[in-house]
Amino acid sequence: MDVVVQQTVNALALGGTYALLALGLAMVFSVLGLINFAHGELMTVTGYAMFFILSAGLPFEVAVVIGILAAMATAMLMERIAFRPVRNAGTATMLLTSFAVSTILHMLFQNLISARPKALPVPDWMIGALNIAGFDIGVIQLISISATALLLFALTIFLRRSTLGIAMRAAALDFPVTRLMGINANMVISTAFAISGLLAGVAGVLWLAQRGSVDPLMGFLPVLKAFIAVVLGGLGSLSGAVLGGIVLAFIEVALRAFLPDDWLPFRESIALALVILLLLVRPEGLLGRKEAIR
Amino acid sequence: MGGYAAVSHQEGQTGKVGRGGVGFIASGTLAGSAILFVPIAIFSLIAWQTFGSAPQGTVTHFLIITVAVLGFSVFTGNTGIVSFGHAAFMGLAAHITGVLTMPVAQKGVFLPDLPSWLAGVEMNFLVAGLIAVVIVTVIAFLIGMPIARLGGASASIATLGLLIIVYGVIVGARDFTRGSQALIGVPKTVDIPVALIFLGVAILLARIFRDSLPGLELRAVREDEPAARAIGVNVQGRRLLAWTVSAAIAALAGVLLAHFLGVYSPKEFYFQITFAILVMLIAGGMTSVSGAVVGAIVVTAVIDVLRGVEEHINAAWFSEPTVFGLTDIGLSLGILAMLFWRRDGLFGFWEIEELAGGWRRWFGLATPADVAESQAARIDQEGALAVENVAKAFGGLRAVDGANLTLRPGEIVGLIGPNGSGKTTLLGCISGALDLTGGKVALDGTDISDLAAHQIARRRVGRTFQNIRLFAHLTVIENVKAALAASGTRLAAAAMDARARALLRELGIESYAGRRAGTLAYGLQRRLEIARALALEPRYLLLDEPAAGMNETESDELLGILGRLRESRGLGLLVVDHDLRLIMRLCDRVVVLNRGQVIAEGVPGEVQANPDVIEAYLGKRRAATRTTSAPSLGD
Repeated sequence: MDVVVQQTVNALALGGTYALLALGLAMVFSVLGLINFAHGELMTVTGYAMFFILSAGLPFEVAVVIGILAAMATAMLMERIAFRPVRNAGTATMLLTSFAVSTILHMLFQNLISARPKALPVPDWMIGALNIAGFDIGVIQLISISATALLLFALTIFLRRSTLGIAMRAAALDFPVTRLMGINANMVISTAFAISGLLAGVAGVLWLAQRGSVDPLMGFLPVLKAFIAVVLGGLGSLSGAVLGGIVLAFIEVALRAFLPDDWLPFRESIALALVILLLLVRPEGLLGRKEAIR
Repeated sequence: MGGYAAVSHQEGQTGKVGRGGVGFIASGTLAGSAILFVPIAIFSLIAWQTFGSAPQGTVTHFLIITVAVLGFSVFTGNTGIVSFGHAAFMGLAAHITGVLTMPVAQKGVFLPDLPSWLAGVEMNFLVAGLIAVVIVTVIAFLIGMPIARLGGASASIATLGLLIIVYGVIVGARDFTRGSQALIGVPKTVDIPVALIFLGVAILLARIFRDSLPGLELRAVREDEPAARAIGVNVQGRRLLAWTVSAAIAALAGVLLAHFLGVYSPKEFYFQITFAILVMLIAGGMTSVSGAVVGAIVVTAVIDVLRGVEEHINAAWFSEPTVFGLTDIGLSLGILAMLFWRRDGLFGFWEIEELAGGWRRWFGLATPADVAESQAARIDQEGALAVENVAKAFGGLRAVDGANLTLRPGEIVGLIGPNGSGKTTLLGCISGALDLTGGKVALDGTDISDLAAHQIARRRVGRTFQNIRLFAHLTVIENVKAALAASGTRLAAAAMDARARALLRELGIESYAGRRAGTLAYGLQRRLEIARALALEPRYLLLDEPAAGMNETESDELLGILGRLRESRGLGLLVVDHDLRLIMRLCDRVVVLNRGQVIAEGVPGEVQANPDVIEAYLGKRRAATRTTSAPSLGD
């Protein structure tokens, strides 16, 4: 029983991070049809911003806020500089553009900052565990889960209540028609990137708090997982992205906990293979939908 | 691996006779391959005779990477789906051939945990390479089954997943691979001549596949998937074929690279090489074989220059730390520039011999004579296409709600109704683009409700689309050929050409045969869509608003064409249109749909006078005033 609760908490914490990343990707994809390979670099930007703020002797809380803002600003800049010129090109063109942006950012981080990891001191109160109802639960995990829940809740309110939020949801369903309704396309797209930056920034903080260091390639792996989560949930579906992230995390945690030792090196491969098999059954993803043909 | 063996006997063939073997390879295929290969071969052989060993290595590496680019391009170019996964096949093949060829003594040192049946093996590199390619091809076929079901971005991400999976497996299988460390002592047997021979094979394979009928069908899918299904293309099957062929070529590249490097780790076949290969594809133009090869040449040259500059800068200005990644940044900026300003790459959608103005004119050969007229024989007049109580609901919306209609060969039936009455949905249900929620569609008494779109097309039910869905980047004649191919017509290249031309002539658009379909005027695009549907030799043809957007002259011409089709071929036409003048003049019977249900059916005059119809179109009150005066619709 202990193990089950413990692993469920682990899966929820990991799944929350994946879900935030996947949701940011899905947000941009549903509006623009862009799979943003450079999404992971937003996490890295958060990491370096925090590193510099902390080096300047400012408190951790300030570093978190600045780090998240830096990710949002970078996301909007990316859109303005790199993605706007190829906005109406096909999926493949935009995907490759973002791939190039990602590579350029890697190289810039390596050359301008360092190829080696930079330590990011995490405050003492975040390390350790709380005893809740007889279970020891890590503080960072607790923060991950509550931050994810809070952010998803706030985003849901935004998307359902505010005019801009409703426009975003409409754009996710049918962008051309939304534009015909007089919605400013640039506004919607910029907002989508800002939100994806916010989500990536928060995910970055959570990820960094567990690792305690930042390096040029740190965003790569979690975002690859988020890609898989997005496809698993159904490309273009916002709730699907969140669900996909959580399901993927549960698969990974379950494999880590229950796989025999001999098989552990193949853990990631098995998790991804399971997802691809799931897609064999549901090619549109868990919550995806087919498009009408005229 | 040419692809013909796999497709010559397929489901739903209409009993046409296949002919010829060599005749299947179009003359342009060979010419185009030669134009690409000969200059590379001359340069490489000169390099082999005169260069020192280091630059010879650069040339060999270039030749091998070009083979890899061709592997990517067979899948990515023909399907339009960017693959990140093919480096996985290279890595897998490289490690298989490495283990099979490594000298027994070295195996004892570096791979002590090998199972005994492998520990004593020491093969010739050709045998081992062949085994590696075969194994990888089989694996690729199995992996391809789920991936071929996905489309577009989902498929790309799945291939990315594949790359990570295979990398993980290679690193994890320590008994066979030394984990993430390098394999050492693999015999270095690949030099310029060996690499050159295999490059020739790869170019020819890639061109044959691209120009083959399955290749043409796939390019049609790349342009417009629903339209390709509607002409009978088995999308998944074709994608799987391209995936398998391309994986085999990638595996070949992996084997060559292994025996060129001699020492390599799994990392060699991960993101960096994937990125470099994709850059080459983009630079040259993803959709043509010529683009792949020329892209590889250009990018290799650029990398070489950038490397030189990088070393120079580091030597001159920085002793420590060095600037790294200038090459990668240069390539990335190059890619961005390319994508911003020349999105389709250097070659666009063209092959080299097409750009050269058509090789026939080059070599002074005439276009082939018209071998076969279009087989416009009148079709069997038995049977009927029957829609029985068909229903289709989208969530709570019942778009079609128990509709009935019958279409017989030789008959023209008009399907009209106000906007949103379910006309297009009903066509989608008949043609298999949509799944039914109730009722059935029967073709000559056989239930076809559960068949996929391409299967229905092969049972000779054609359709056109309300929003024109041509294969925009294929030529006009290729649009028709793709449909001929998909419907199971197997003819020699010249006869295929003649058959397609005859169809274009029937629609009066033969003179546009070599143009890109997307560049035609609107009315001509509509005609091409009909020509393409006729390539299926349909017994029933469903036309969704064929006259939409046409002026009166154009729609009169269309009227003439449709009338002639009925006369010459005796096919059954179901025409949806808002042009009531056209419907009333053209149709034998008119079916009126409102809110998903048939509210009237009969000869045009009757239907025009029917009060329910007038009410559906004009609303209750207006209809009441209209019925008292002389009612008529569509004046």
